[in-house]
Amino acid sequence: MKTPVCVVRLPRGPDPHGRGFDPTSPRYLALCPSSLSTSGEADPVALRAEQRARAMMRERFLRCLISMANKKIQFLMYERVTVAAVFGASDIDVLNFQVSDLQTPIGVQTEALIRCQDVISYSFDM
Amino acid sequence: MAMRQTPLTCSGHTRPVVDLAFSGITPFGYFLISACKDGKPMLRQGDTGDWIGTFLGHKGAVWGATLNTDATKAATAAADFTAKVWDAVSGAEVLTLAHKHIVKSVHFTKDSNCLLTGGNDKVIRIYDLNQPEEAPQEIPGHTASIKRALWCHDDKHILSASEDRTVRLWDRNIPEAVKTLSFDTSVSSMEYLADGDVVLITYGKTIAFYNAHSLELIKTIVTPANIHSASLHPEKDFIVAGGDDFKLYKYDYGTSEELESYKGHFGPVHCVRFSPDGELYASGSEDGTLRLWQTAVGKTYGLWKCVLPEDLVSENPELIYPVPAEIKA
Repeated sequence: MKTPVCVVRLPRGPDPHGRGFDPTSPRYLALCPSSLSTSGEADPVALRAEQRARAMMRERFLRCLISMANKKIQFLMYERVTVAAVFGASDIDVLNFQVSDLQTPIGVQTEALIRCQDVISYSFDM
Repeated sequence: MAMRQTPLTCSGHTRPVVDLAFSGITPFGYFLISACKDGKPMLRQGDTGDWIGTFLGHKGAVWGATLNTDATKAATAAADFTAKVWDAVSGAEVLTLAHKHIVKSVHFTKDSNCLLTGGNDKVIRIYDLNQPEEAPQEIPGHTASIKRALWCHDDKHILSASEDRTVRLWDRNIPEAVKTLSFDTSVSSMEYLADGDVVLITYGKTIAFYNAHSLELIKTIVTPANIHSASLHPEKDFIVAGGDDFKLYKYDYGTSEELESYKGHFGPVHCVRFSPDGELYASGSEDGTLRLWQTAVGKTYGLWKCVLPEDLVSENPELIYPVPAEIKA
């Protein structure tokens, strides 16, 4: 009777949170140029200023998402679509927004996911 | 002592896997991309099947996927009428190429500068990736959907397979096909091997090999089941094929003899490819999984480990005994 070949472990499956492409992997570090525009130069002052600006913008965006919670938002989307909905939450990669009471021309959707790549802009009263 | 093949199952897709492709060998190993009807193609480490990332962005089933030789770029063809080019290191979408119908096939030139696309609008297109806003070069001629379009002969020629039951050889500078092969039935798959200038075409239960310049028949092998895809080993020792009966078949290329068949998938096998080093082959199935199979069963490679009988008795705790039932990662 044949013995089955042994394996050290099974292949690793996808991470349920996020899309992968680990930025700490050796391949990423070797091949992905830094997205900071000043990183090529030797000027640490400019680099720090840019990093500070980026951190500030990111913080502002995250605070904006927090302040949107449970507020009525107008979404302007492609194909001249404007819809209103009550904002719930965003996923970690900002790919989808979870909304409630989505007002569409064909009715009100109690719960819905809006694909972020379809959104051009959104506005709300603070 | 003969060993029994232990396929490695890569799960993660939620719908049938319809296409897969390997990259060349890079300093970081080689990679595998899988196209799936769930619209989310995945990149995996080629020798272990470990998931690296998922390319998110398509809005429909992905019918074709490919990597460039050094695995820095990926391209996908989808039912959302677009082909997309991706950065295969960061996973970011680089380009969206709009088409007029479902796109089925994508292929990079060796220098990654041009992308060949083909699909249900029956036109072969060549995109210059350095000038993506420019209109692509179009090669009409097929009278039904294009299933697959490949560069060959150092990217000077194109081979295309269509539902119009023909395989055509094109020179990109000439509007009419240089050569045409006609079949009585649909061609299910086509592969090109530069080394040896061989085209592998599958249709019905037949695997056929042709000279890629003259399109003269070299040999055919008839299998027990309808074959959806077959692949020739880089050193041309073996052919592996899979199709409707869920099994993987392995043939000796020289003698056309069936060497082995393997059960494992729970649905028809849609695509089979040898790795660039020939040490393993990957299969994608209707059951939503990819499986990796050893070419030389029992050899230590990737996650497989050759264990001598004495070590088996000493109960090495690091090793897993594969059980016949399905194990999901």
